[in-house]
Amino acid sequence: MIVLENATKYYKMKNEKKYILKNVSLTIPGGINVGILGRNGAGKSTLLRMLGGIDFPNSGKIYSDKRFSWPMGLAGGFQGSMTGRQNVKFVCRIFGKSQKEIDEAVEFVKEFSELGEYFDMPIKTYSSGMRLRLSFGLSLAFDFDYLLIDETLSVGDKHFKEKSKKALREKIEKSNVLLVSHAMPILRELCDAGIVVHDGQIKYFDNIDDAIKEYNQINR
Amino acid sequence: MKRKPFTIFKAVVKALVLREVQTRFGSQKLGYLWAIIDPMAMIVVFSFIKTIISHASMPGIDYPVFLATSFLAYNLFKNISLRSMDAFVANKGLFVYKQVKPFDTLVSRAIVESLIIGVATIIFICIGLYFGFDMEVKDLNMVILGFLWIGIFGFGLGVLFAVIGTFYENFKKIISLMFLPLFFLSALFYTVENLPPIARDIVLFNPVVHFIEFIHGSFFPELDTNYVDFTYMAFWTLIPFFLGLWLYTKSERKIVMS
Repeated sequence: MIVLENATKYYKMKNEKKYILKNVSLTIPGGINVGILGRNGAGKSTLLRMLGGIDFPNSGKIYSDKRFSWPMGLAGGFQGSMTGRQNVKFVCRIFGKSQKEIDEAVEFVKEFSELGEYFDMPIKTYSSGMRLRLSFGLSLAFDFDYLLIDETLSVGDKHFKEKSKKALREKIEKSNVLLVSHAMPILRELCDAGIVVHDGQIKYFDNIDDAIKEYNQINR
Repeated sequence: MKRKPFTIFKAVVKALVLREVQTRFGSQKLGYLWAIIDPMAMIVVFSFIKTIISHASMPGIDYPVFLATSFLAYNLFKNISLRSMDAFVANKGLFVYKQVKPFDTLVSRAIVESLIIGVATIIFICIGLYFGFDMEVKDLNMVILGFLWIGIFGFGLGVLFAVIGTFYENFKKIISLMFLPLFFLSALFYTVENLPPIARDIVLFNPVVHFIEFIHGSFFPELDTNYVDFTYMAFWTLIPFFLGLWLYTKSERKIVMS
Protein backbone atom coordinates (compact mmCIF):
# COMPACT_ATOMS: atom_id res chain seq x y z
CA MET A 1 0.00 0.00 0.00
CA ILE A 2 1.22 3.45 -0.91
CA VAL A 3 -0.34 6.47 0.75
CA LEU A 4 -0.22 10.08 -0.43
CA GLU A 5 -1.44 12.52 2.20
CA ASN A 6 -2.07 16.10 1.10
CA ALA A 7 1.01 15.78 -1.03
CA THR A 8 2.07 18.91 -2.87
CA LYS A 9 5.01 19.11 -5.20
CA TYR A 10 5.94 21.98 -7.43
CA TYR A 11 8.87 23.36 -9.33
CA LYS A 12 9.56 27.06 -9.32
CA MET A 13 9.54 28.36 -12.85
CA LYS A 14 10.43 31.96 -13.64
CA ASN A 15 7.46 33.62 -12.00
CA GLU A 16 5.06 30.83 -11.30
CA LYS A 17 4.96 27.49 -9.60
CA LYS A 18 4.51 24.50 -11.84
CA TYR A 19 2.52 21.96 -9.87
CA ILE A 20 3.15 18.25 -10.22
CA LEU A 21 0.94 17.39 -7.26
CA LYS A 22 -1.51 19.82 -5.76
CA ASN A 23 -2.75 18.67 -2.38
CA VAL A 24 -3.21 15.06 -3.46
CA SER A 25 -4.56 12.45 -1.07
CA LEU A 26 -4.71 8.95 -2.45
CA THR A 27 -4.22 5.36 -1.42
CA ILE A 28 -2.82 2.90 -3.92
CA PRO A 29 -3.61 -0.63 -2.76
CA GLY A 30 -0.74 -3.11 -2.41
CA GLY A 31 -0.08 -6.28 -4.33
CA ILE A 32 -0.96 -4.96 -7.76
CA ASN A 33 0.98 -3.67 -10.74
CA VAL A 34 0.30 -0.05 -11.52
CA GLY A 35 0.81 1.75 -14.79
CA ILE A 36 1.50 5.47 -14.63
CA LEU A 37 0.17 7.59 -17.47
CA GLY A 38 0.46 11.24 -18.25
CA ARG A 39 1.71 13.67 -20.81
CA ASN A 40 5.36 14.63 -21.08
CA GLY A 41 6.24 16.90 -18.18
CA ALA A 42 3.15 15.97 -16.17
CA GLY A 43 5.36 14.68 -13.37
CA LYS A 44 5.40 10.92 -13.84
CA SER A 45 9.13 10.65 -13.35
CA THR A 46 9.04 12.97 -10.35
CA LEU A 47 6.36 10.78 -8.81
CA LEU A 48 8.56 7.72 -9.30
CA ARG A 49 11.53 9.54 -7.78
CA MET A 50 9.47 10.49 -4.75
CA LEU A 51 8.38 6.88 -4.30
CA GLY A 52 12.01 5.83 -4.62
CA GLY A 53 12.95 8.17 -1.77
CA ILE A 54 15.22 10.49 -3.73
CA ASP A 55 12.79 13.35 -4.26
CA PHE A 56 10.46 14.87 -1.72
CA PRO A 57 7.10 16.66 -1.71
CA ASN A 58 7.15 20.35 -0.76
CA SER A 59 4.41 19.62 1.76
CA GLY A 60 2.32 16.67 2.80
CA LYS A 61 3.50 13.08 2.94
CA ILE A 62 4.12 10.10 0.74
CA TYR A 63 4.70 6.88 2.61
CA SER A 64 4.70 3.13 2.35
CA ASP A 65 6.19 0.25 4.29
CA LYS A 66 7.24 -1.47 1.09
CA ARG A 67 10.72 -1.70 -0.38
CA PHE A 68 11.13 0.21 -3.60
CA SER A 69 13.84 -0.15 -6.17
CA TRP A 70 15.70 2.91 -7.38
CA PRO A 71 13.88 4.54 -10.27
CA MET A 72 15.12 2.85 -13.37
CA GLY A 73 15.22 5.28 -16.21
CA LEU A 74 17.32 6.41 -19.07
CA ALA A 75 19.19 8.93 -16.94
CA GLY A 76 21.37 6.27 -15.41
CA GLY A 77 22.28 6.12 -11.76
CA PHE A 78 25.71 4.98 -12.72
CA GLN A 79 29.11 6.49 -12.22
CA GLY A 80 30.55 7.11 -15.69
CA SER A 81 34.18 6.52 -14.77
CA MET A 82 33.46 3.09 -13.28
CA THR A 83 33.06 -0.07 -15.33
CA GLY A 84 29.80 -1.98 -15.51
CA ARG A 85 31.20 -4.60 -13.19
CA GLN A 86 32.34 -2.01 -10.62
CA ASN A 87 28.94 -0.36 -10.69
CA VAL A 88 27.17 -3.66 -10.10
CA LYS A 89 29.48 -4.43 -7.19
CA PHE A 90 28.95 -0.96 -5.78
CA VAL A 91 25.18 -1.28 -5.76
CA CYS A 92 25.40 -4.76 -4.23
CA ARG A 93 27.60 -3.38 -1.46
CA ILE A 94 25.31 -0.52 -0.54
CA PHE A 95 22.48 -3.03 -0.26
CA GLY A 96 24.65 -5.02 2.15
CA LYS A 97 25.10 -8.16 0.06
CA SER A 98 27.76 -10.69 1.08
CA GLN A 99 30.76 -11.42 -1.13
CA LYS A 100 29.13 -14.64 -2.37
CA GLU A 101 25.92 -12.83 -3.25
CA ILE A 102 27.92 -10.11 -4.99
CA ASP A 103 29.71 -12.68 -7.16
CA GLU A 104 26.38 -14.27 -8.08
CA ALA A 105 24.82 -10.91 -8.90
CA VAL A 106 27.81 -9.92 -11.06
CA GLU A 107 27.53 -13.18 -13.02
CA PHE A 108 23.79 -12.76 -13.44
CA VAL A 109 23.97 -9.16 -14.62
CA LYS A 110 26.84 -9.92 -16.98
CA GLU A 111 24.84 -12.74 -18.50
CA PHE A 112 21.57 -10.85 -18.71
CA SER A 113 22.87 -7.55 -20.01
CA GLU A 114 24.78 -9.20 -22.89
CA LEU A 115 27.40 -6.47 -22.69
CA GLY A 116 30.31 -8.79 -23.42
CA GLU A 117 33.63 -6.99 -23.17
CA TYR A 118 31.88 -3.72 -22.44
CA PHE A 119 31.02 -5.07 -19.01
CA ASP A 120 34.60 -4.22 -18.02
CA MET A 121 34.66 -0.84 -19.75
CA PRO A 122 33.79 2.51 -18.16
CA ILE A 123 30.07 3.27 -18.34
CA LYS A 124 30.74 6.53 -20.14
CA THR A 125 31.67 4.52 -23.24
CA TYR A 126 28.20 2.89 -23.28
CA SER A 127 25.35 3.73 -25.58
CA SER A 128 22.05 4.56 -23.88
CA GLY A 129 20.76 1.12 -24.84
CA MET A 130 23.71 -0.53 -23.14
CA ARG A 131 23.26 1.51 -19.97
CA LEU A 132 19.67 0.45 -19.96
CA ARG A 133 20.50 -3.22 -20.27
CA LEU A 134 22.89 -2.93 -17.35
CA SER A 135 20.40 -0.98 -15.25
CA PHE A 136 17.60 -3.39 -15.95
CA GLY A 137 19.70 -6.48 -15.36
CA LEU A 138 20.98 -5.02 -12.10
CA SER A 139 17.50 -4.34 -10.78
CA LEU A 140 16.53 -7.96 -11.44
CA ALA A 141 19.31 -9.11 -9.13
CA PHE A 142 17.51 -7.65 -6.13
CA ASP A 143 14.25 -8.46 -4.38
CA PHE A 144 12.05 -5.43 -4.09
CA ASP A 145 8.36 -5.16 -3.29
CA TYR A 146 8.07 -2.63 -6.09
CA LEU A 147 10.19 -2.09 -9.14
CA LEU A 148 10.08 1.52 -10.30
CA ILE A 149 10.47 1.55 -14.05
CA ASP A 150 10.54 4.66 -16.18
CA GLU A 151 9.96 4.08 -19.88
CA THR A 152 12.82 1.68 -20.16
CA LEU A 153 10.84 -1.12 -21.76
CA SER A 154 10.28 0.78 -24.96
CA VAL A 155 13.97 1.25 -25.69
CA GLY A 156 16.48 -1.22 -27.01
CA ASP A 157 16.31 -3.67 -29.85
CA LYS A 158 13.50 -6.14 -30.35
CA HIS A 159 15.43 -9.06 -28.97
CA PHE A 160 16.24 -7.30 -25.71
CA LYS A 161 12.72 -5.88 -25.37
CA GLU A 162 11.28 -9.37 -25.54
CA LYS A 163 13.87 -10.68 -23.14
CA SER A 164 13.27 -7.96 -20.56
CA LYS A 165 9.51 -8.31 -20.80
CA LYS A 166 9.84 -12.01 -20.17
CA ALA A 167 12.18 -11.40 -17.21
CA LEU A 168 9.80 -8.82 -15.84
CA ARG A 169 6.82 -11.16 -16.10
CA GLU A 170 8.75 -13.71 -14.05
CA LYS A 171 9.77 -11.05 -11.58
CA ILE A 172 6.26 -9.74 -10.97
CA GLU A 173 5.11 -13.11 -9.80
CA LYS A 174 6.96 -12.26 -6.59
CA SER A 175 7.08 -8.48 -6.62
CA ASN A 176 5.12 -5.63 -8.14
CA VAL A 177 5.89 -2.97 -10.64
CA LEU A 178 5.17 0.73 -10.98
CA LEU A 179 5.59 1.38 -14.65
CA VAL A 180 5.76 4.66 -16.49
CA SER A 181 5.16 4.14 -20.17
CA HIS A 182 3.58 5.59 -23.26
CA ALA A 183 3.28 2.15 -24.82
CA MET A 184 -0.28 1.03 -24.20
CA PRO A 185 0.23 -2.63 -25.14
CA ILE A 186 2.97 -2.97 -22.54
CA LEU A 187 0.82 -1.28 -19.91
CA ARG A 188 -2.14 -3.54 -20.71
CA GLU A 189 0.05 -6.60 -20.59
CA LEU A 190 1.88 -5.96 -17.34
CA CYS A 191 -0.36 -3.72 -15.24
CA ASP A 192 -3.61 -4.31 -13.37
CA ALA A 193 -4.43 -0.79 -12.28
CA GLY A 194 -3.44 2.62 -13.55
CA ILE A 195 -3.00 6.18 -12.41
CA VAL A 196 -3.21 9.22 -14.59
CA VAL A 197 -1.13 12.27 -13.67
CA HIS A 198 -2.58 15.46 -15.07
CA ASP A 199 -2.69 19.11 -14.03
CA GLY A 200 -1.40 18.54 -10.51
CA GLN A 201 -3.93 15.82 -9.81
CA ILE A 202 -3.67 12.05 -9.73
CA LYS A 203 -6.59 9.80 -10.63
CA TYR A 204 -6.53 6.17 -9.68
CA PHE A 205 -8.30 3.46 -11.70
CA ASP A 206 -8.76 -0.12 -10.59
CA ASN A 207 -8.58 -1.20 -14.16
CA ILE A 208 -5.74 -0.20 -16.46
CA ASP A 209 -8.13 0.02 -19.42
CA ASP A 210 -10.10 2.76 -17.67
CA ALA A 211 -6.87 4.64 -17.00
CA ILE A 212 -5.92 4.39 -20.67
CA LYS A 213 -9.39 5.67 -21.64
CA GLU A 214 -8.98 8.66 -19.33
CA TYR A 215 -5.52 9.35 -20.71
CA ASN A 216 -6.86 9.30 -24.24
CA GLN A 217 -9.56 11.76 -23.18
CA ILE A 218 -6.90 14.16 -21.93
CA ASN A 219 -4.94 13.87 -25.12
CA ARG A 220 -7.87 14.52 -27.38
CA MET B 1 14.29 -7.34 6.83
CA LYS B 2 15.10 -3.72 7.60
CA ARG B 3 18.71 -2.70 8.18
CA LYS B 4 19.60 -0.19 10.86
CA PRO B 5 20.60 3.27 9.59
CA PHE B 6 24.11 2.83 10.97
CA THR B 7 24.48 -0.55 9.25
CA ILE B 8 23.49 1.09 5.95
CA PHE B 9 25.88 3.99 6.62
CA LYS B 10 28.78 1.59 7.16
CA ALA B 11 27.96 -0.44 4.04
CA VAL B 12 27.67 2.72 1.93
CA VAL B 13 30.89 4.29 3.22
CA LYS B 14 32.76 1.05 2.60
CA ALA B 15 31.38 0.84 -0.94
CA LEU B 16 32.26 4.49 -1.57
CA VAL B 17 35.81 4.06 -0.26
CA LEU B 18 36.37 1.07 -2.54
CA ARG B 19 34.86 3.02 -5.43
CA GLU B 20 37.08 6.02 -4.77
CA VAL B 21 40.19 3.89 -4.53
CA GLN B 22 39.35 2.14 -7.82
CA THR B 23 38.50 5.24 -9.82
CA ARG B 24 41.62 7.07 -8.68
CA PHE B 25 43.71 4.14 -9.76
CA GLY B 26 41.92 3.76 -13.05
CA SER B 27 41.64 7.27 -14.37
CA GLN B 28 44.92 8.83 -13.32
CA LYS B 29 47.68 6.55 -12.24
CA LEU B 30 49.59 9.58 -11.00
CA GLY B 31 46.81 10.07 -8.45
CA TYR B 32 48.56 8.03 -5.81
CA LEU B 33 52.09 8.83 -6.85
CA TRP B 34 51.24 12.49 -6.45
CA ALA B 35 50.81 11.96 -2.71
CA ILE B 36 54.56 11.24 -2.61
CA ILE B 37 55.79 13.54 -5.38
CA ASP B 38 54.12 16.69 -4.09
CA PRO B 39 55.62 16.76 -0.57
CA MET B 40 58.88 15.35 -1.90
CA ALA B 41 59.24 18.21 -4.37
CA MET B 42 58.51 20.71 -1.58
CA ILE B 43 61.12 19.15 0.65
CA VAL B 44 63.76 19.28 -2.09
CA VAL B 45 62.93 22.88 -3.03
CA PHE B 46 62.89 24.26 0.50
CA SER B 47 65.96 22.27 1.57
CA PHE B 48 67.75 23.79 -1.41
CA ILE B 49 66.62 27.32 -0.56
CA LYS B 50 67.74 26.73 2.99
CA THR B 51 71.27 25.76 1.97
CA ILE B 52 71.55 28.99 -0.05
CA ILE B 53 70.27 31.30 2.69
CA SER B 54 71.84 29.08 5.32
CA HIS B 55 71.47 30.70 8.67
CA ALA B 56 71.43 28.18 11.43
CA SER B 57 68.00 28.98 12.85
CA MET B 58 67.18 25.39 13.70
CA PRO B 59 70.26 23.83 15.21
CA GLY B 60 70.10 20.12 15.79
CA ILE B 61 67.19 19.49 13.45
CA ASP B 62 67.36 17.67 10.15
CA TYR B 63 65.55 20.22 8.03
CA PRO B 64 64.16 17.69 5.49
CA VAL B 65 62.51 15.81 8.38
CA PHE B 66 61.05 19.07 9.63
CA LEU B 67 59.66 19.74 6.14
CA ALA B 68 58.31 16.20 5.79
CA THR B 69 56.22 16.49 8.96
CA SER B 70 54.97 19.90 7.77
CA PHE B 71 53.87 18.89 4.32
CA LEU B 72 52.36 15.54 5.26
CA ALA B 73 50.22 17.19 7.93
CA TYR B 74 49.38 20.18 5.75
CA ASN B 75 48.45 17.99 2.76
CA LEU B 76 46.23 15.85 4.97
CA PHE B 77 44.40 18.98 6.07
CA LYS B 78 44.28 20.55 2.62
CA ASN B 79 43.23 17.44 0.72
CA ILE B 80 40.45 16.50 3.12
CA SER B 81 38.96 19.99 3.23
CA LEU B 82 39.42 20.86 -0.46
CA ARG B 83 38.44 17.54 -1.98
CA SER B 84 35.21 17.48 0.01
CA MET B 85 34.06 20.50 -1.99
CA ASP B 86 33.40 18.52 -5.14
CA ALA B 87 32.33 15.30 -3.41
CA PHE B 88 28.63 16.01 -3.95
CA VAL B 89 28.97 16.85 -7.63
CA ALA B 90 31.30 13.92 -8.32
CA ASN B 91 28.94 11.43 -6.69
CA LYS B 92 25.69 12.94 -7.87
CA GLY B 93 24.89 9.91 -10.03
CA LEU B 94 24.91 7.72 -6.94
CA PHE B 95 22.23 9.65 -5.07
CA VAL B 96 19.65 7.80 -7.16
CA TYR B 97 20.09 5.11 -4.53
CA LYS B 98 18.39 6.42 -1.43
CA GLN B 99 20.89 4.57 0.77
CA VAL B 100 23.64 6.90 -0.41
CA LYS B 101 23.48 10.14 1.57
CA PRO B 102 25.65 13.07 0.44
CA PHE B 103 27.32 13.13 3.87
CA ASP B 104 28.58 9.57 3.28
CA THR B 105 30.60 10.81 0.31
CA LEU B 106 32.38 13.32 2.58
CA VAL B 107 33.22 10.64 5.11
CA SER B 108 34.53 8.26 2.47
CA ARG B 109 36.66 10.95 0.81
CA ALA B 110 38.21 11.87 4.16
CA ILE B 111 38.99 8.20 4.80
CA VAL B 112 40.60 7.79 1.39
CA GLU B 113 42.72 10.95 1.82
CA SER B 114 43.83 9.74 5.25
CA LEU B 115 44.78 6.34 3.85
CA ILE B 116 46.81 7.96 1.07
CA ILE B 117 48.68 10.24 3.48
CA GLY B 118 49.16 7.26 5.80
CA VAL B 119 50.86 5.28 3.05
CA ALA B 120 52.91 8.33 2.02
CA THR B 121 54.05 8.73 5.64
CA ILE B 122 55.23 5.13 5.81
CA ILE B 123 57.17 5.57 2.57
CA PHE B 124 58.76 8.77 3.90
CA ILE B 125 59.80 7.03 7.10
CA CYS B 126 61.45 4.28 5.04
CA ILE B 127 63.28 6.86 2.93
CA GLY B 128 64.39 8.67 6.06
CA LEU B 129 65.71 5.48 7.63
CA TYR B 130 67.52 4.56 4.43
CA PHE B 131 69.34 7.89 4.22
CA GLY B 132 69.98 7.96 7.94
CA PHE B 133 68.09 11.15 8.85
CA ASP B 134 67.66 11.95 12.50
CA MET B 135 64.08 10.94 13.18
CA GLU B 136 64.04 10.72 16.92
CA VAL B 137 60.58 11.65 18.16
CA LYS B 138 60.07 13.48 21.44
CA ASP B 139 56.46 12.44 22.05
CA LEU B 140 55.04 10.05 19.49
CA ASN B 141 51.53 9.98 21.01
CA MET B 142 51.25 13.75 20.72
CA VAL B 143 52.48 13.66 17.12
CA ILE B 144 49.81 11.07 16.27
CA LEU B 145 47.22 13.17 18.08
CA GLY B 146 48.35 16.17 16.06
CA PHE B 147 47.87 14.35 12.77
CA LEU B 148 44.46 12.99 13.79
CA TRP B 149 43.36 16.38 15.02
CA ILE B 150 44.41 18.29 11.92
CA GLY B 151 42.55 15.64 9.87
CA ILE B 152 39.37 16.14 11.90
CA PHE B 153 39.83 19.91 11.63
CA GLY B 154 40.04 19.52 7.85
CA PHE B 155 36.95 17.33 7.81
CA GLY B 156 34.89 19.84 9.81
CA LEU B 157 35.86 22.63 7.44
CA GLY B 158 35.23 20.29 4.52
CA VAL B 159 31.63 19.65 5.59
CA LEU B 160 31.02 23.38 5.82
CA PHE B 161 32.75 24.10 2.49
CA ALA B 162 30.86 21.31 0.73
CA VAL B 163 27.42 22.51 1.84
CA ILE B 164 28.03 26.19 1.11
CA GLY B 165 29.74 25.32 -2.17
CA THR B 166 26.62 23.48 -3.34
CA PHE B 167 24.64 26.68 -3.31
CA TYR B 168 27.33 29.22 -4.22
CA GLU B 169 29.55 28.07 -7.04
CA ASN B 170 31.93 31.03 -6.52
CA PHE B 171 32.54 30.01 -2.94
CA LYS B 172 34.62 27.05 -4.10
CA LYS B 173 36.87 29.32 -6.15
CA ILE B 174 37.33 31.71 -3.23
CA ILE B 175 38.34 28.88 -0.90
CA SER B 176 40.78 27.47 -3.45
CA LEU B 177 42.34 30.93 -3.79
CA MET B 178 42.65 31.27 -0.01
CA PHE B 179 44.76 28.14 0.11
CA LEU B 180 47.52 29.84 -1.90
CA PRO B 181 48.63 32.33 0.78
CA LEU B 182 47.86 29.75 3.46
CA PHE B 183 50.79 27.73 2.21
CA PHE B 184 53.19 30.51 3.18
CA LEU B 185 51.39 31.49 6.38
CA SER B 186 51.21 28.08 8.05
CA ALA B 187 54.66 27.72 9.63
CA LEU B 188 55.46 24.91 7.24
CA PHE B 189 59.11 25.77 6.52
CA TYR B 190 59.83 27.99 9.49
CA THR B 191 58.84 28.11 13.13
CA VAL B 192 56.83 30.88 14.76
CA GLU B 193 59.81 31.47 17.05
CA ASN B 194 61.94 32.38 13.99
CA LEU B 195 59.60 35.20 13.01
CA PRO B 196 59.85 38.83 14.12
CA PRO B 197 57.33 39.57 16.91
CA ILE B 198 54.84 41.46 14.72
CA ALA B 199 54.74 38.65 12.16
CA ARG B 200 54.21 36.16 14.98
CA ASP B 201 51.04 37.89 16.16
CA ILE B 202 49.65 37.98 12.64
CA VAL B 203 50.51 34.43 11.72
CA LEU B 204 49.01 33.08 14.94
CA PHE B 205 45.54 34.10 13.75
CA ASN B 206 45.85 31.27 11.25
CA PRO B 207 44.53 28.14 12.98
CA VAL B 208 46.68 25.87 10.79
CA VAL B 209 49.83 27.35 12.39
CA HIS B 210 48.78 26.04 15.80
CA PHE B 211 48.34 22.50 14.47
CA ILE B 212 51.67 22.53 12.66
CA GLU B 213 53.50 24.01 15.66
CA PHE B 214 51.85 21.40 17.86
CA ILE B 215 53.16 18.61 15.64
CA HIS B 216 56.65 20.17 15.32
CA GLY B 217 56.88 20.88 19.04
CA SER B 218 55.90 17.31 19.89
CA PHE B 219 58.20 15.77 17.31
CA PHE B 220 61.51 17.59 17.77
CA PRO B 221 63.25 17.64 21.14
CA GLU B 222 64.72 21.04 20.19
CA LEU B 223 61.32 22.68 19.69
CA ASP B 224 58.41 23.43 21.99
CA THR B 225 54.68 24.12 21.81
CA ASN B 226 54.75 27.49 23.59
CA TYR B 227 52.82 29.29 20.87
CA VAL B 228 50.12 26.61 20.55
CA ASP B 229 46.67 27.67 21.74
CA PHE B 230 44.61 24.53 22.27
CA THR B 231 41.39 26.45 22.91
CA TYR B 232 41.79 28.18 19.58
CA MET B 233 42.33 24.81 17.87
CA ALA B 234 39.24 23.31 19.54
CA PHE B 235 37.22 26.36 18.50
CA TRP B 236 38.26 25.95 14.86
CA THR B 237 37.58 22.23 14.98
CA LEU B 238 34.12 22.35 16.52
CA ILE B 239 32.49 25.52 15.16
CA PRO B 240 32.88 24.80 11.41
CA PHE B 241 31.98 21.14 11.94
CA PHE B 242 28.74 21.78 13.82
CA LEU B 243 27.82 24.74 11.65
CA GLY B 244 28.43 22.54 8.62
CA LEU B 245 26.37 19.68 10.08
CA TRP B 246 23.52 22.04 10.92
CA LEU B 247 23.45 23.50 7.43
CA TYR B 248 23.75 20.01 6.00
CA THR B 249 20.76 18.58 7.85
CA LYS B 250 18.74 21.56 6.68
CA SER B 251 19.73 21.12 3.07
CA GLU B 252 20.34 17.38 2.65
CA ARG B 253 17.21 16.92 0.55
CA LYS B 254 18.10 19.86 -1.66
CA ILE B 255 21.54 18.38 -2.25
CA VAL B 256 20.03 15.02 -3.19
CA MET B 257 17.54 16.66 -5.57
CA SER B 258 19.90 19.21 -7.12
